[in-house]
Amino acid sequence: MQPFTYLLLPGYWSSRNRIARTERADVARASLFGGVGVLVFVALFWGAFWITTQLDAYEELGDFLLRIGLSWLFLTFLSFLAFSGIVTALSTFFLSEDLRLLLATPVAVRRVFYARFTKTVLQSSWMVVIFLLPVLLGVGIARCAPCMFYVTALLTVAPFCVIPVAAGTGTTLLLVNVFPARRARDILMLMGLVFAGSIVLLLRFIQPERLLRVESLPDVTGFFATLQSPITPLLPSFWAGETLFASLAGGRDLLHAAALWTTACAFTVMLSAASERWYFAGFSKSQEARKARFNQLRILDMLAAFLPVSVVRRNLLIKDLKVFLRDVTQWSQLLLLLALVVMYLYNFQVLDLDRIPYMAGFIKNFYAFLNLGLAGFVMSTVAVRFVFPAVSSEGAAFWIIRTAPITYRDFLWSKFWSGVVPLLLMSLTLTVVANELLAVAPFLKAVTAVGITFMTFALVGLATGMGARYPRFSSDNATQVAGSPGGVAFMIAAVSYVISMVVLLGWPSSVFLWRLSRLHVRPFRPDEVALIAVCFATAIALSTAVFLYGMRSGVKALEEMG
Amino acid sequence: MISIQNLRKQYGSFTAVDGVDLEVTSGEIHGFLGPNGAGKTTSIKMIAGLLKPTSGRIFVNGHDLAAKPEAAKASLGFIPDRPYIYEKLTAGEFLRFHAGLYGMNGNGLNGRVREMLDLFELGRWEHELVESFSHGMKQRLVMCAAFLHRPRAVLVDEPMVGLDPRGAKLIKSVFRRMSEHGVAILMSTHTLEVAGEMCDRISIILKGKIIARGTVDELRAMGGTRDEELTAVFLKLTGGTGLQELDEIV
Repeated sequence: MQPFTYLLLPGYWSSRNRIARTERADVARASLFGGVGVLVFVALFWGAFWITTQLDAYEELGDFLLRIGLSWLFLTFLSFLAFSGIVTALSTFFLSEDLRLLLATPVAVRRVFYARFTKTVLQSSWMVVIFLLPVLLGVGIARCAPCMFYVTALLTVAPFCVIPVAAGTGTTLLLVNVFPARRARDILMLMGLVFAGSIVLLLRFIQPERLLRVESLPDVTGFFATLQSPITPLLPSFWAGETLFASLAGGRDLLHAAALWTTACAFTVMLSAASERWYFAGFSKSQEARKARFNQLRILDMLAAFLPVSVVRRNLLIKDLKVFLRDVTQWSQLLLLLALVVMYLYNFQVLDLDRIPYMAGFIKNFYAFLNLGLAGFVMSTVAVRFVFPAVSSEGAAFWIIRTAPITYRDFLWSKFWSGVVPLLLMSLTLTVVANELLAVAPFLKAVTAVGITFMTFALVGLATGMGARYPRFSSDNATQVAGSPGGVAFMIAAVSYVISMVVLLGWPSSVFLWRLSRLHVRPFRPDEVALIAVCFATAIALSTAVFLYGMRSGVKALEEMG
Repeated sequence: MISIQNLRKQYGSFTAVDGVDLEVTSGEIHGFLGPNGAGKTTSIKMIAGLLKPTSGRIFVNGHDLAAKPEAAKASLGFIPDRPYIYEKLTAGEFLRFHAGLYGMNGNGLNGRVREMLDLFELGRWEHELVESFSHGMKQRLVMCAAFLHRPRAVLVDEPMVGLDPRGAKLIKSVFRRMSEHGVAILMSTHTLEVAGEMCDRISIILKGKIIARGTVDELRAMGGTRDEELTAVFLKLTGGTGLQELDEIV
């Protein structure tokens, strides 16, 4: 009987074969990512080293803060590892393709469990380990820690990673026995994004900028009480922090080290027993077909029937909307986007412009243009994520479009309209509501509203067209398409365009507002009027050109696909 | 060799397999026919140990699959309809890994691997990555793996999909040779010519239930047709052809 590690061999052999057959492009990619990795490593090391040496200056207080800092560090990773464990276990234990091969062979479930659990722990925690490595190295060197500190660090991090991942895997086992695995994955993804969105909003709504005001600083005792409040001696993060802190000074905290190891072993044994009982039932359930959601959305068909578009475009639109709504990975990201939009507008609401009254008018108008630029950047990001992959999202089914009696122009325009309507709604909300909150001059309100409308059409046209020029039909998800060289090229073009538009609209508007202010009552000179008109006309021409170029080149690229 | 008793699989209120009984004896090639969605693949997956039956029992080589899954699976070879093979392994590495899962190692393994690769005409591809293989080659590699450990029974789900005529002929002769050596083969297929040509007995499944079983001649008799083609018998037994409406639709 082979040990369970035998089941990990295909992964090892595959990596070895991949390295042996490395091509030049792979080396370049690895060098790029490796370079970035080294930079991050060095930055983390220096950050940890600098903070630890600074804390050294405060003796006991510094020790206290370092101790809390270590517990906080591990506490942060604890929740990350647990969530990562849940998501990774879904894939390694239930959705992985090779399970159909392994489970048809006479391999005991216990061995499959240990092999898959090892894989889950490695996949979930490698990022945490890579992050912890320079940080603990920085802390150790700054404190001139003995060699035992580094050994203890290894012996602490290993069980610390196992505990939350085991808890996450257990949760997955439970979830999959209640819901089909794919549905469980969707639920988890949704929960994760709602959680992330809530954290973003929460952090913003507590108004951290108030901490910078002297009058709102809490007293020192209250400050430390707040810092310590989430740290409980019952969590593995506390045990890990205490074990490492003791070994920093050359001591040993065997109690907390033992707590870590015994808990890790106990969790693994309990999970193994649970998997022997429920794993196969869960795996069997994970293969059941999923039911379509939003299948009762007849209202979508009814609303689309009223649109003044051709039958072809209407059907393409309905198909795109249904596919989008049924893919949780697509629409759930809108929740995060919504949170960011709310936070964005909230920032304008809490702006305290009255603190400097004589500058308020100028700052308001400046913010109005800053808002226009920011809205443009937000739109570019949303367009690269949701509009640019629109053509690629046809994937292997693109043959249906290619063999159907429809023109590529019709096809691309349907993609354009399904992108431009929601983006226009979003960009107008961002600018109009922000301008209302700022109470800017009516002239600026009009200029930015018209400007953002033109920018939306241009950016969506460019994203649709470039998405057709650089399609990736084999990509698994839209994020991969957005991160492709074509996506990066779009972002460069989009950002350049947004900057040009802000300059073209900002300069004449500022001249106009300056002249209209009460201090400068003299009328416009004809050359000033002409220059303002030229700027506005150029902005319109540029937007039209970007839009037309995007769409036409996209249609041409599809036609030339052959 | 393969014995199935009152096998059922329920998905919510939908019954995919409804009380199937089946016996495949040593050396028999048993065809498992049925229209799409009749319950063939669900049954095969349950016998392979990939899907938990709602009720019923499965025995392979005398071992109860629910009570002794490892012993039952050790006697079984499984050829799925969509073969999964580690793309970054070579054909040889994949077969050696697969052999290890069945407890095969040590002397003779390399020889057996080469023997199987040569049998399925993949000998010169032993050190090539699976990702460079065509669908038909992958299918043949999975068959190598299924026969590698000398199973007593083999489950095959749609064996001819993606195979060229030469590959199909090769597979047919391998299956015949294996059955002559006493291997029981349960083969699900849509290709009625293959079933008619190769199978000793055929079971026809419809809406999760076995509606007919017997040799090709016995099935012809049950269908009440003297038509040489098995297709006509199959269509008759599984609920009409719909041909009469075709003219109206077209």
